[in-house]
Amino acid sequence: MGSRWTWRLLALPGVVWLSVFFLLAFYAVVAVAFGNQNTLSEPVPFWNPLDWNVGYMLATLENIWHGEQFLTVFVRTFVFVGLSLALSLAIGYPVAYFAARRAGRRRGLVLLLLIVPFWINYLMRMLAWINLLSPDGLGTRMLSAIGIERLFISVNLLASRGGWLEGQPFTVIMALTYGYLPFLILPLYAALDRIDQRQIEAARDLGASPAGAFLRVTLPLSRPGIVAGLVLIALPMSGDYYTPDLVSSSTQTSMIGNQIDQLTRQGSEKVTGASLTLLLAFVLLGLMFYYLRATRSADDRGDA
Amino acid sequence: MSRRRLLQGAAGGALGIGAVGFLAGCENTTTPIGTSEGATGSSKLVVTKPTGPGGLPLPRPDNSVTWAITPGHEPIADGLPNESGPLGIYNYADYVDPSLVKKFEALTGRSVQIATYNSSDEATAKLSSGAVAFDLIMGLSANNIVNLIAQQLIRPLNHSYLPNLAKNVWPELQDPFYDRGSRYTVPYVVWSDGIGWRNDKIREDIAGMRVPWDIFWESQAYRGKVGVLDDKRDALSMPMQRNAMRTGLRPDLNTEDAQVVARAGQELGQLTGICNVKVDITDYQTLPEGKEWLHQSWSGDLLQAAFYYMPTGVPASVLSYWSPNANGVVQNDFFCIGRTGKNPALAHRFVNFMLDEAVAYGNFVNFVGYTPPQKNIDAALLIKKGLIPKSLTDAVVRPDQFAANQELLQLSVAGEQSWDQAWSKFKGG
Repeated sequence: MGSRWTWRLLALPGVVWLSVFFLLAFYAVVAVAFGNQNTLSEPVPFWNPLDWNVGYMLATLENIWHGEQFLTVFVRTFVFVGLSLALSLAIGYPVAYFAARRAGRRRGLVLLLLIVPFWINYLMRMLAWINLLSPDGLGTRMLSAIGIERLFISVNLLASRGGWLEGQPFTVIMALTYGYLPFLILPLYAALDRIDQRQIEAARDLGASPAGAFLRVTLPLSRPGIVAGLVLIALPMSGDYYTPDLVSSSTQTSMIGNQIDQLTRQGSEKVTGASLTLLLAFVLLGLMFYYLRATRSADDRGDA
Repeated sequence: MSRRRLLQGAAGGALGIGAVGFLAGCENTTTPIGTSEGATGSSKLVVTKPTGPGGLPLPRPDNSVTWAITPGHEPIADGLPNESGPLGIYNYADYVDPSLVKKFEALTGRSVQIATYNSSDEATAKLSSGAVAFDLIMGLSANNIVNLIAQQLIRPLNHSYLPNLAKNVWPELQDPFYDRGSRYTVPYVVWSDGIGWRNDKIREDIAGMRVPWDIFWESQAYRGKVGVLDDKRDALSMPMQRNAMRTGLRPDLNTEDAQVVARAGQELGQLTGICNVKVDITDYQTLPEGKEWLHQSWSGDLLQAAFYYMPTGVPASVLSYWSPNANGVVQNDFFCIGRTGKNPALAHRFVNFMLDEAVAYGNFVNFVGYTPPQKNIDAALLIKKGLIPKSLTDAVVRPDQFAANQELLQLSVAGEQSWDQAWSKFKGG
């Protein structure tokens, strides 16, 4: 009995923290999104659900339904995030696999080397890239020297020499991938590291080729890590607005986060900004549920 | 959209009561330009234009406003000694030379504390929350004045502390239409909206074009190197100015006509296809560095670029700036004194200190880059001192531009929504 109360007590700070900084804050967004604004254009939250004003949410949904700008940015955001996730997985999986299963005694060092660059603040790294990729930047000159620039120009991803930061979508996709990659690698590494070597050996003993053992044993067993990593980076990517602002600032690359930022920071459409925030949260909540279901079913299999 | 408007109208009415309620002590009168000041004691409210918060008039050049001084909220008495400080200033980040602040501290023996904001909305929201009391607020403009007055956030001024206002400041801004008699505000700096470009990269003679704004719609060759200001009012007013220049008509850059605003948004949107236009306010850096070649710019940013941001080996003469003589945008911001601040006499003296010619000049060329509206500071002086090239002459705003151009002013809530919606559409690409 006593220990049960100790555990509950230990959970208290976390519960209080979540209640105040997540539940209450989230409810404030809901109350604003279903509220109104005063004559100073400041939002007036309606705390009582019975008073809720659905007008702004309906107008936002109407905008999406009629294919106006909110639909455009939602679709663009999911395309950018989807491509960034695919790219992150393509880059991150082999790295995590190597670090967890092939680096042997040096795995600690490999992991450390992967993490070290991320000791530097995200914004600082992005600002550094902006200088490196400016028209006469060091990075631009290197990419030109080794022929990457010509390759990108030939496949029409780059309009002109040195034009890496001229507002192309692929720049934003690359920047998102770069920014969030380590948060995919770490859970993947943990998942791959946990796989029992004997299961792979058993597969080989039973006649599976190395590729077969990977596809039938390693890959399925690392699935929870893949899902966790992808969800972990998909959530912040979907709400990101500073990455497109920093590396592009073109209207062709503005994401849903940019719309929310712009609507809520300044002007007379703050309530619309809150309703967009809520819509994005619902989409991401769907992702979260998928993650929870995927990890739970994996756990269930583990228990069985 | 109609459903939303309906709901807003219904609830807006109810919410408005609260706003008017707390405005009860704030009477105001409007006077047409050129006549003497209206009654101060009576509560006559003349509304001829779209109104702002609490039904207060929105100042326009043809609808100037004298803000009332209400009982219990009079200016401070003459000749008070400096309070003990510290002087609390609320200002945009990096918007006053810290060495001059130190100088003021040394002069008065009082310390100065500066808190900063990033947008005028942030500033007015924080001020209206009442959470903090500031002695002096810097950097807000006629675009915010109705909010400041409606919520009684600022204190009327006592001009006996401000001899430098009459002595040094342009006559054009001593009695501005948005605050007749400068009862609550004193101008800080001025700027215009124009075109900033790299004359070593752009082939066209922009200043010589019949409609220089056309360059943006003819900038296919500079794709990826073209930007407009990340500010809905400035950016959307650009196609409005262009159309007006083409037709020879005077634009209304404070229009509340949703169709006119939507059309401006569509025309601005054409730039996405023409040059993949960027939307940013970093041109003071990107133009000198050559990351962008053509930009809609605030005049002060080009001066900042010339003063501080030229890379080694790149002369400031590669930068050019053009702004219209008429029917364009000129703006100013101001000092005002916080209603609840504890150091009003000290705040008045700081304002007067900043209006001193030498101080204003130092703040301009050593730090801020935005022109103070001082009688003896003009482009010729800066060119003579070798601070700016001739190609940036236009970036030092002249008093005559104030009469022929327009300030971007506070709109009614419905009016502003049409700008916000057009802007959101444009920025969504």
